[in-house]
Amino acid sequence: MLVKILSVANVGLDTVPVDVEVDVASTGFPGFTIVGLPSKAVEEARERVKTAIVNSHFEFPARKITVNLAPADLPKDGAAYDLAIAVGILIASNQLETSAKIDLKRMFFYGELSLDGSLRPTKGILLLGLFAKNKKGSTIFVPQPSANEAGFISAVTVIPVISLSQLVDHLTDEKTITPLKYSSLEKFIDEDYIEYDLAEVAGQEQAKRALVIAAAGGHNLLMWGPPGTGKTMLARALPGILPPLTPDEALEVTRVYSISGLLTPGEALLRKRPFRSPHHGVSSAGLIGGGSNPLPGEVSLAHLGVLFLDEMPEFTRSVLESLRQPMEDGVIEIVRAAGHVKYPASFTLISAINPCPCGYLGHPKKECKCTDKQIAKYRHRISGPILDRIDLTVSVSAVEVEKLSLTNQNQANRLTSIQAKEQVVKARKIQSKRFAGLKIYTNSQMRNKEVKKYCMLTADSENLLKVAADKYNFSARSYYRLIKSSRTIADLESSEKILPVHMAEALQYRQII
Amino acid sequence: MTYRRRENWKRFPELKRLKDLSTPPKEIYYTGNWNPEIFKKCVAVVGSRRMSEYGRRVIEKIIPQLVLQKKTIISGFMYGIDQYTHQICVESGGKTIAVLGWGINVKLDGYDKKLANKIVESGGLIISEWEEQQAAHWTFPARNRIVAALSSEIIIVEAAMKSGSLITARIGNRLKRKIWAVPGPITSRTSAGTNLLIAQNKAQMWIDSFLTSEKITTGDPLLDLLSNEALTTNEIARKINIPVSEIGAQLSLLTISGQLTEREGKYYLNNAG
Repeated sequence: MLVKILSVANVGLDTVPVDVEVDVASTGFPGFTIVGLPSKAVEEARERVKTAIVNSHFEFPARKITVNLAPADLPKDGAAYDLAIAVGILIASNQLETSAKIDLKRMFFYGELSLDGSLRPTKGILLLGLFAKNKKGSTIFVPQPSANEAGFISAVTVIPVISLSQLVDHLTDEKTITPLKYSSLEKFIDEDYIEYDLAEVAGQEQAKRALVIAAAGGHNLLMWGPPGTGKTMLARALPGILPPLTPDEALEVTRVYSISGLLTPGEALLRKRPFRSPHHGVSSAGLIGGGSNPLPGEVSLAHLGVLFLDEMPEFTRSVLESLRQPMEDGVIEIVRAAGHVKYPASFTLISAINPCPCGYLGHPKKECKCTDKQIAKYRHRISGPILDRIDLTVSVSAVEVEKLSLTNQNQANRLTSIQAKEQVVKARKIQSKRFAGLKIYTNSQMRNKEVKKYCMLTADSENLLKVAADKYNFSARSYYRLIKSSRTIADLESSEKILPVHMAEALQYRQII
Repeated sequence: MTYRRRENWKRFPELKRLKDLSTPPKEIYYTGNWNPEIFKKCVAVVGSRRMSEYGRRVIEKIIPQLVLQKKTIISGFMYGIDQYTHQICVESGGKTIAVLGWGINVKLDGYDKKLANKIVESGGLIISEWEEQQAAHWTFPARNRIVAALSSEIIIVEAAMKSGSLITARIGNRLKRKIWAVPGPITSRTSAGTNLLIAQNKAQMWIDSFLTSEKITTGDPLLDLLSNEALTTNEIARKINIPVSEIGAQLSLLTISGQLTEREGKYYLNNAG
């Protein structure tokens, strides 16, 4: 007898329906074959399904079983077809008679089986839920440990399944499973708590200000200074001062994490802005995504959050260069034999570099042991095109401990993350009003056309910029970069025009390497 | 660049100072136009490879004065104080002699090459006692003895405790040359050697006329703060109660108007000179 069960395959962030056709032949030599470009993980479903059926006190038919995963030309990967195959075999071998209420044409089965017949956490549940939402009146059967991922999708019945035998009881209407309760997306969004507070970093008043500007205008930031001065702590504080994720943004981020299997079982929605800090040994596939069946890389996992590259010159040059496309377009396209996928990758880049290879150039106490040539070579490792995409540079100098009196700080420069966030949110509101309908959200995304249109300089500021351009030998690019960051500074002060003070402050964050 | 050998250098009166050495060089090779005049009033200005902003400013201050007195500046052509000395000397229109710590025929590149060309073009000389010798640990102290011997006065700008410049000073003392050391803050590593020379009476302290000049107050808290010491933005922010955004803006404006200089993150007042 032939049965058709519905399931899905996730290709990148796209979801494709897959028909799991199971045939248990009445004649022929016993065997179990899976066709339809299965990967090793899918092939091994034979052993998992066979054992799980037996351990759920059913009989595994000693007949010729053929499973076809259609469309046959799409490569299938992962263990998520286990559940569909098992259900198909049980129905096709007449061990499971579905009750009249069950309409298999509107039901998707998705999940990995354990040998004892229970279901294991499976990645990509959110994507399945979003796909089923478009097919009216669908029901999805998913492993109970990961079911929460689909909890806020309306118009889909989500059945959290603990084990195969429980599912059979449900399908025969012997003992139904209560569907997952729908809760609205807004409910999941609460005030995200701040993990690293700016106030925890001692000193570095200027760098904190630079972080606020970076957060407000979505600018990429380069921090420059010897080790142990708080660069990493500052970078970690950035997600806490960015505006909270909107429900749509949260969903977008969660999709990437769902397909990567990085959601903790039971977790429904990512509420924090991601912070990714890949080690400098990362390969370019690790950074931008890849693999024969391409998975998202660090740039996509940092989507709408922060990508922190510590010791930036230590990254391989080709790896750094691969950042160019995502930094420009906010998406990354990966082409592999298995296909062509697109992942979102719109992040704020924070990079940290030491002043020299040993790290102690200009340190008040420690001696630097590098030669001038080594220093020049070290700084040249970051290419111009990458530096061109970094609007702000700030020096994070070594702090002499005796100069830091934590209790006695000046009022004017004490900044907590909560205050910083308020400033950022205010400045972002001004920007979203300005760019309404333009597909631009922050000042950093302005192209030259928009810079000319929206960045009104007063005559004084323009003059200042000209004098500065002459003194520091600006290129046309750095000229526009400065205007963009001064626009953000003006937004932070709620000033419609860019005044000389804003321009002068922006000059503090010009590129020095 | 083409170089030559000074055949039988002991015959030349302008090089007779080299005979003061217990181990005079065997040969002298040179690049440039040999002009005996430039050996007459030689001052060596030497110092650390790791030049601090202070050392840079000292050079910018004293070299033009020496050039004005028609002195020839001798130094060791190493990066840091030495090369900056050559550079400022050439830029101020003076003559300079670079004594290499390696053979004359060793190829130079990048900045080294540019500087060497400038020295020769400005009528200075590049000299070495070797033809093909590669730089090694022992070649630099050997070079220092020639620097010390050729000059009548030696000014040490910045030197750490184990600096090669202290070797130049020691040899200079033995040869009865006048030794000057520029004092530095006792917190600075690159001034520890020069301060020690002064403390041990092995060098005279180089001070300048600005000791007598009055401290200028402007009424601007930022400028007043910087008239005492050079500070980073963060340090300023900690000292005065103004938001760092405003401090940054002011610093930019003062830098562009020429009242301040920024180097390696620190701001210096420009009126000291």
